[in-house]
Amino acid sequence: MRLGKRQVWLQLLSLGISPVLAMTACSRQQQTGIDPQEVSAGEYAYEVHCAECHEQPHPDLLKQPPNLHGIFSRKTLPSGAPATDKQVRNTIIEGRGTMPAFDKRLSSEEVDELAQYLHTLK
Amino acid sequence: MKSGLSLALALILLLAALACSHRKTYPLQGEVRGKDLTTNEVTVNHDDIPGFMPAMTMPYKVKNTAMLQELQPGDKIAAEVVVSKDGNDCWLEDVRITDESGRGKVMAAERHMLMPGEKVPDVPLVNQDGQTIHLKDFSGKAVLVTFIYTRCPVPTFCPRLSSQFARIHNELKTTPDDYSKTQLLTISFDPKYDTPAVLRKYGLAYLEGDASGFSQWDFASTKEADMRRLAQAFSLDYQEQDNQISHTMNIALIAPDGTLVKSWSAEWTSDELLKALRQAAHRSAKG
Repeated sequence: MRLGKRQVWLQLLSLGISPVLAMTACSRQQQTGIDPQEVSAGEYAYEVHCAECHEQPHPDLLKQPPNLHGIFSRKTLPSGAPATDKQVRNTIIEGRGTMPAFDKRLSSEEVDELAQYLHTLK
Repeated sequence: MKSGLSLALALILLLAALACSHRKTYPLQGEVRGKDLTTNEVTVNHDDIPGFMPAMTMPYKVKNTAMLQELQPGDKIAAEVVVSKDGNDCWLEDVRITDESGRGKVMAAERHMLMPGEKVPDVPLVNQDGQTIHLKDFSGKAVLVTFIYTRCPVPTFCPRLSSQFARIHNELKTTPDDYSKTQLLTISFDPKYDTPAVLRKYGLAYLEGDASGFSQWDFASTKEADMRRLAQAFSLDYQEQDNQISHTMNIALIAPDGTLVKSWSAEWTSDELLKALRQAAHRSAKG
């Protein structure tokens, strides 16, 4: 049986091997195991681009990415900046601190969909 | 009594045989692209391995070190990939050179992957302050170098590398003698996006806002052609597609005389890197 990309990825990781990263949208989709047809575009973008850092702690990282559930239910973001769509969009596009910029990786529409989904994430 | 011992021995042999039979093997065919005698690894550009892995270039451990010595870039090989019973380890066994007519041609075509003791190419780099720097500027210091791109979103790759370099930097600061004799260097393979301003912002995040740290930790990029040269020297693989970059993780330690001490790809810890860096700097102090 031939292994899929996700299985290959997991197998290599389990072996402690760092192969050339496969980071195409297709392989990321396979890594999350989420069918884009079954969830909203915003949720799909969150699972593909955000969840890996913001949903689980990575002890090797200098700063732990904050949990994003309920970020719009408070007045300020974890950074202390106002919890507005504009601020969240800027953070996604330009990055903040050790968070990488998603500039040129997500379209303006995808950023909007992502911000919209974050409003629903409780 | 004697029959009891025989039975026990037979049982042990049976268990050993069963244990051996649980490890999985897959036939590999490919071409040697490089090797690292310090880690007993050979990098192979291999064909599809049905049931295990698609075609790709990656390092494998070779337990037969005598065979590893024989392998040269360009050699076509056949081998068995052995995956341990617990699935936590894999290596090559029964390595055979099937064609050595390409020996030397890969090195000529792709330049040379550095071996410990060899001089590191001194390409010009532009750092976070827009200044042109050279590796020779760090002559007399032990230099730990790694490669990233600032937009890397995979926490176990560039963010981990930079976080662990930050930890090493913070540790070095606690021993001023080591701090002055060492240098960290983070090189971006995405010069189009990672301008000096972007690298400065990125560096400040990992220096936790303290710009004085740039004196011992540079963030730099270089021209595409020079980056390719460095990549070949340090066995770095990277490919850009749709504004994302697929890449390997590579770290190298350069001695105060500009020669390669050691390189790491798959398995490393910041403690191990820090120890090696301090030792290299200490050897420098001894002259």
